[in-house]
Amino acid sequence: MLKRLRSLFRALARRRDFEDGMSEELRFHIEQYTDDLVRCGMSREKAARQIRMELGSPINLKADCREAFGLHLFDEFRRQLNYAARLLRKTPAFTATALLTLAVCLGANLTIFGVIDSVLLRPLPFPQPERLMTIFNTYPKAGVERDGSSITNYYERRGRIPAFASLSIYAYGTEIVGELGSTERLQTMRVSPDFFSTLGLGPAIGRTFTDEETTSDTDHVAILSDPFWRQRYNADPNVLGKQIRVNSVPRTVIGVLPASFRFLSSDARVFLPLASRPEDRAPSRRHSGGNVIQMIARLQPDATLAQAQGELDAQNAALEVDDPQAKMIADAGFRSLVVPLRADYVAAVRPTLLLLEAGVLVLLLIGAVNLVNLLLIRAGGRVKELAVRQALGAGWRYLVSEVVVETTLLTFVGGLFGLAVGAGGIQLLRGLGADRLPLGSHIVFDARLALLGMVASIVMGMLFAVPVVWFQLRRHLGNALHSVSRGGTSGHGAQILRHGFIVSQIALALILLAGAGLLGLSLERVMAVSPGFQSDHVLTGQILLPWADYLEAGRLKFVESLMDKLDQLPGVLSAGVVNNVPFSGNIGKSAATVAGHVRRPGESARGHYSYGVAGDYLRSMGFSLRAGRFLTADDSRRSARVCVVDEDFARYYWPHASAIGQRLWDGPEAGKDAETFTIVGVVGGVKQAGLTENEAQGAIYYPYAFRIGDSVYVALRTRLAPESLALALQKVVRQIDANVPVSDIRSMDTRIADSLVARRSPALLAGLFSGIALLLTSIGTYGVLSYAVAQRRREIGVRMALGAQPGQIRMQFLALSLRLLTVGTVLGLIGAWQAGRAMRSLLFQVPPLDVAVLAAAASMTAAVCLAACLLPSQRAAQISPMEALTEE
Amino acid sequence: MDKTAELLPGTLDMLILKAVSLKPLHGYGVLQRIRQISGNALEIPQGSLYPALYRLEHHGLINAEWGQSENNRRAKYYTLTAAGRRRLRDETAGWNRLAAAIASAMNTTSEEV
Repeated sequence: MLKRLRSLFRALARRRDFEDGMSEELRFHIEQYTDDLVRCGMSREKAARQIRMELGSPINLKADCREAFGLHLFDEFRRQLNYAARLLRKTPAFTATALLTLAVCLGANLTIFGVIDSVLLRPLPFPQPERLMTIFNTYPKAGVERDGSSITNYYERRGRIPAFASLSIYAYGTEIVGELGSTERLQTMRVSPDFFSTLGLGPAIGRTFTDEETTSDTDHVAILSDPFWRQRYNADPNVLGKQIRVNSVPRTVIGVLPASFRFLSSDARVFLPLASRPEDRAPSRRHSGGNVIQMIARLQPDATLAQAQGELDAQNAALEVDDPQAKMIADAGFRSLVVPLRADYVAAVRPTLLLLEAGVLVLLLIGAVNLVNLLLIRAGGRVKELAVRQALGAGWRYLVSEVVVETTLLTFVGGLFGLAVGAGGIQLLRGLGADRLPLGSHIVFDARLALLGMVASIVMGMLFAVPVVWFQLRRHLGNALHSVSRGGTSGHGAQILRHGFIVSQIALALILLAGAGLLGLSLERVMAVSPGFQSDHVLTGQILLPWADYLEAGRLKFVESLMDKLDQLPGVLSAGVVNNVPFSGNIGKSAATVAGHVRRPGESARGHYSYGVAGDYLRSMGFSLRAGRFLTADDSRRSARVCVVDEDFARYYWPHASAIGQRLWDGPEAGKDAETFTIVGVVGGVKQAGLTENEAQGAIYYPYAFRIGDSVYVALRTRLAPESLALALQKVVRQIDANVPVSDIRSMDTRIADSLVARRSPALLAGLFSGIALLLTSIGTYGVLSYAVAQRRREIGVRMALGAQPGQIRMQFLALSLRLLTVGTVLGLIGAWQAGRAMRSLLFQVPPLDVAVLAAAASMTAAVCLAACLLPSQRAAQISPMEALTEE
Repeated sequence: MDKTAELLPGTLDMLILKAVSLKPLHGYGVLQRIRQISGNALEIPQGSLYPALYRLEHHGLINAEWGQSENNRRAKYYTLTAAGRRRLRDETAGWNRLAAAIASAMNTTSEEV
């Protein structure tokens, strides 16, 4: 078999040689034979006649020889291809419409599928990625759904859960890397020694971390990522043993990761040991995760997730027995959950992506229906030609393959354009924030996607041929000749099919439009939500203070001098500092204990958003004061034990009394009296994580001195455009310490707008899809109706000759389109209702069945369809009876 | 007509293989050789010769190469491949069995029944 294929390909590749050889061989044969016959005494003419008789026609002979090689099929294919190309060129309007439809529909599908493929389908780049799990602590009844894992968890679980082959922890971070004067701020990861073996992919050069390198005194080692190694060290193979300064502490390079190493979306350049002190590993720190440290594990080859979960639950239960906080932890609904790493990582975006995929598939369906309709109309125009050819002896096999070749050529070329649209679409999606999706930076338009597009377009071409072939073969040959020559109407079946297609197009377009409307309305409702503070005219930026240079006192001093300098900056109304601004993406909750609050049965310590603030942070952000006073620069200077809470917090603990003067401890347990903080003010509730956040978890603002972290956000209120202060802010920070950069500088308005990207982009795309769908539907409706009019020209002519008024004719066609529109709209509304139910989880304060949205979508679809019907109806009314009856 | 026999269906390929197995031949040579080795008893229909040659070449049973003819013309010469040799052996054996069986059947006399 293989041998024959090879010989066929050889013949195809050297087609000219094959043909020349064949001719020469036959010529040789004839000459030799002639010579022999002449030698036997025959005249030349007689010999030539004799040979022709014996050999047969050279054309047939050559055809038989080609067939012996299987070449005839290709010759036929090429002939049909030429024929199809010629036909398509003859109808440029149809061809352009079809190609454009295909390009847009296939391109849009490739784009969305490219995202789905990278984010949801493609396995993580590690061996047996399906065995990788993530484990996190959850305290649902305390309002903390996700708290990561603690260092204690790691040391208690490592090697003690039989279902896990390996278990490790990691934490993302940013550090200042490089020699003084040429530092840069880089993404980093701190990982436990077994992190790389859990993933199953270790350094390409050198070694991983050892257990000895996990204490805070012995962790002066680092592993580099491949890009960093190439950039900074020019891919120096002797990099091992060199020193690299991280947060101004020198560390020794002990390894370089392979180029293929990519953990989720992390862009970490330098990997450091996740070092800890013995006290960090103590049982008392078991529940101190704070969502900073995350745990991953690899299942044993024969273990299941349920088994691992069971073993983990059992261990947790055993450990909690002698935990003094056991009751409170249990009340909080504590559990440690095992979840597949990848599914967990993309869980948040999965519904949106699936919704978009569904939308884009509907678009493809509309486009396909449109094309089939146009193809059917086109086939209708060629009925007579085909009937004549059939009568002249063209076999049905040949006619079928002719149709298949034509439709496939069309979809193939359309598919090529579709690839271009898809590649452009992926660029567009990047602009819409697709690269910020989990695993979104992996999205590329690659050969795999292109191949898929080409295969899909060929399959589509073959499918399109089915209805066309059915349409052509089904008719009786004589009948066709007859009906066309008399200008009769087309078959009933074909008409129903065409009308069915129009109805389904209208319905699908309506569903898409309604879905886009729901998303748009939902976005509008989200944007109408107040963040709880005055977000305009505020500039914010993050400053990272490396531990080595700034101990607690150093940080306080830094913040104080920063405040002094910022206050003097022209254009600044007030300035403040906080651990994390709202909408910065890094928020964590921690527990507080209110003095005098008796926990109700089953109530645990609650997690609240807790911040340290300095300067005039609350005023600068435009928080609204409900009672008491703001924390001010004075409080941070005096380090008074005071705090401000928000109204959600106050309402929870003192629903009927004032919170002012009440006291609380920063932590899950009541402490000494001297350690309480007195509430001096109540501020309005603020959306911390996003506008759609609806849990009122409460927030506490302490003076910065009591909550010093390694990074702070600056907030400046100004009368000017906030971005115009960015350079001044950087300059001020550089004056204090030239090695401390300011990053993530954005106005609060921008932060809020950016936080909406996950809603805005899908709404935008859905709007785009439904716009295209409407356009396609109008093209389809117009095409079908024009065809109906053209086909019934003669009939209309007769009727007008008998006295029918143009208005009556027009109404007849408009009534037809109204009937189709009505059926399509009813079906579409049912579909839209179902679609709304399916996307309920993505909607914000919008019911799945929103009458206004449905009405708007339906009337828009109706308007577009009727507009598409007007022109053909008008044309019907203007038919001149004389012309219609005399032509042909 | 003189004493030429009609070719049985399916035997052309076998005869071509046999002819080519003796010595590399061009198409016209194959025709002559079959006539010669059959003692002028078999007449090859010329219209089927070349399609048969192309089919055998396509199936890898014979090889085609351009060479010089006895009167110094360029001609395509066919030789037997290893696969062709195997096929020839099988077909010869099969044919002999068939011929012997038919001969035996046809020579039966009434006494032997």
